[in-house]
Amino acid sequence: MKMFNVFTAFCCTVLLMAVSSCRQSETTRPNNREIIFAVSQAPLNLDPRYATDAASARVNRLLYQSLVDFDAQSKPTASLASWQEISPRLYSFTLNKNRAPFHCADKSKWALISAYDVKATYDSFAFLKDSPHAAEFDNIKNIRVKDDNTVQFELKTADSHFAAKLIIGILPAALIAQHHDFSHDPVGSGSLSLVSWQHQLSLVRERDGQKISLQEVKDPTVRVLKLLHGEVDLLQGELPVELVQYLQTKPEVIVKTNIGANFSYLGLNMQDSVLKQLKVRQALAYAIDRNVMMQKVMVANTRAAGAILPPEHYTNQYSLPIYPYKPALARQLLLEAGVKLPLKLVYKTSTDAQRVRFATIMQAQMQPAGIQLEIRSLDWGTFFEDIKQGNFQLYGLTWVGIKTPEIYEKALGSNSMPPKGFNRGRYLDAQLDQYLLNDNWQAATARINSQLPYIPLWYEGQFAVMRKQIHHFSAKPDGNWDDLATISRYAH
Amino acid sequence: MIKRLIGLVTVVFGVLLVTFLLIHLVPGDPVEVMLGESASSADRVVLRAELGLNQPMIIQFGHYLQRLAHADFGLSIHSKTPIIELVKTRYPATLKLAFVSLLIGLGVGLPMGIFAALKAGKWQDLMVSLVSVRLSAMPAFWLGPMLMLIFAVWLGWLPVSGMEANTSIVLPALTLGLGLSAILTRMTRTSLLEVLNDDYIRTARAKGLSESHVIIHHALRAALLPIITIVGLQMGSLLAGTVITETIFSWDGIGRLLVESIEKRDYPVTQACVLLVALSYVLVNLFTDMLYQLADPRVKLVYAV
Repeated sequence: MKMFNVFTAFCCTVLLMAVSSCRQSETTRPNNREIIFAVSQAPLNLDPRYATDAASARVNRLLYQSLVDFDAQSKPTASLASWQEISPRLYSFTLNKNRAPFHCADKSKWALISAYDVKATYDSFAFLKDSPHAAEFDNIKNIRVKDDNTVQFELKTADSHFAAKLIIGILPAALIAQHHDFSHDPVGSGSLSLVSWQHQLSLVRERDGQKISLQEVKDPTVRVLKLLHGEVDLLQGELPVELVQYLQTKPEVIVKTNIGANFSYLGLNMQDSVLKQLKVRQALAYAIDRNVMMQKVMVANTRAAGAILPPEHYTNQYSLPIYPYKPALARQLLLEAGVKLPLKLVYKTSTDAQRVRFATIMQAQMQPAGIQLEIRSLDWGTFFEDIKQGNFQLYGLTWVGIKTPEIYEKALGSNSMPPKGFNRGRYLDAQLDQYLLNDNWQAATARINSQLPYIPLWYEGQFAVMRKQIHHFSAKPDGNWDDLATISRYAH
Repeated sequence: MIKRLIGLVTVVFGVLLVTFLLIHLVPGDPVEVMLGESASSADRVVLRAELGLNQPMIIQFGHYLQRLAHADFGLSIHSKTPIIELVKTRYPATLKLAFVSLLIGLGVGLPMGIFAALKAGKWQDLMVSLVSVRLSAMPAFWLGPMLMLIFAVWLGWLPVSGMEANTSIVLPALTLGLGLSAILTRMTRTSLLEVLNDDYIRTARAKGLSESHVIIHHALRAALLPIITIVGLQMGSLLAGTVITETIFSWDGIGRLLVESIEKRDYPVTQACVLLVALSYVLVNLFTDMLYQLADPRVKLVYAV
């Protein structure tokens, strides 16, 4: 009996401990004004010369200013500077007069960005041998400072897309010379600056002192629970459609959707004896029911894709046909190609739950067409290495944040085979190369759409979910977080 | 003891060697990860040489051991942070979670096991068995979100996840501790039942000792060896980081760091984490052996022979 009493006392203690923690939960958020943004992946590196992951790139856009940005049609536009093409190999950039200064702890030492900072930033790529962006600037012969506001870039060879490459955040020349650690202690001139980076990335908006924190929460269900509990105020993308639909029923949150510009596709190995036949590739295109997938397992505003760059891009002033779901036609095309049915193909994808789900749906859709898809989901490192090595038949990936039409050359040009470029399918097409050489985007995209070196799928819709008190934030087509510069909280 | 220490060093060396070989054999190249796909071949060669990856594996392993001897784990390829700093921030979090989970496991499992043994065959025993079977059948990826839903979203008592509040540890520790308590309940019940009918327990009772004295000082002590074994094994895996629980609860522990480093092919971080995990296992094992000797002096005698 005594033992039973001890056990009962223990249970009561545990219960009391749980009840006593009730009050403390209200203090979990240290500052009421702070806006907490839950992200699936925290930034890895805040030095814009090194950052490659999407989260770092999105935060760096807010911490730093770049010479050039893009408009809604993805045309390069003046940001920190306007530019002039003096000759095909010489560009001159003039900094805006009303540009923001670099932020540092001592406000009296805030200095305006000068042409010397621009030169130091881009010159630094020459000695940063481990920067993933260094190759982009190999073509720069030299950078000349004309005066405090003007800088000239001389190129080794003509590059009509050069201005669009100058999107790296500008760093202070003095700190570059001191080998300052920008990756953990960023000093920029953007709308936000760093407060601290421990368990979460704490930022402050310079114009009004609004605190904004980025908190990494990997699990999508937990992100949703934290939003509903009020521990975080905002989340964007990377939720299964069921959770988005569930959130749309909740009165305490708002779901905002927008069109997306990130291109999802089915990659093909063009050196594979079966897949190098056009009829087989056409059969694959006709064996996927994009509409059903967009309606059932994707968020609103997802659009079927015809080309890498979306219809609103400045190079796409015409529409490309979308392949409809015609399994009978697909089967017929396979038979015409002399393929023995069922055609067995291996499809590689990552372990991401949504990607595996797409793969299983496609597997079922392709069956009536006589295609037997074997799905292999691999951890990201192994998967991506296989893709780069050409060790695949089919794979699924998404191009994220693509702005310039150079992507066609890099992804499909005959001279862009890995490791020199992203032509992972090893596609060789002299006709396409000619179109790309002449910047004939209409002919090039039509050629790609008909030859199908990849199977276009969709531009996945973007969405953001926020507490009702949060205003002035919306999801952007490329998924950037630029609205953190304007986001605000209203007391209800 | 010296023999055991030599064994410890051998195990750690073996782990280091196997990890080093395995991580260099899996597909994926840190130079590719760092420079991306558009880098020139010349840049790749330069960086490969800078990182020492162009040298034979045996030389690379030698250099790695040399750096380790100076407690130099190197820099993370991705974040450029000294690995020792990463470990310093992550490992204490894992330690804290492991110890609180262990406390919950012991605090719930031992009394429940003793209670079930004392009520063996009765409805209370059946209830405890039912609860412990249910608890052991609940995976962390299910139990964690359920606890969040109940205690954070519905009742609003605790934070959903994170490490900011003092109470943040309660839910992840409960997730791990309840699973552990289920195992301990079953083990305690079984071990105790084996000794409760022994002659020396009957003698103790006949001497007029109180029931709690008999249970705690005589029966439980004799039943402790298998329990210590289980606790040791479980503690080892808790210290190795519990990836799923750490991920669900956004707990910045060593398990999450290890998995993230493998995904990103951050070789130096992976090696440092595996070394730490191996050391934890070995030390917990050593500590468990010492506890055996404390619990049962005959174990010491066996060593002496």
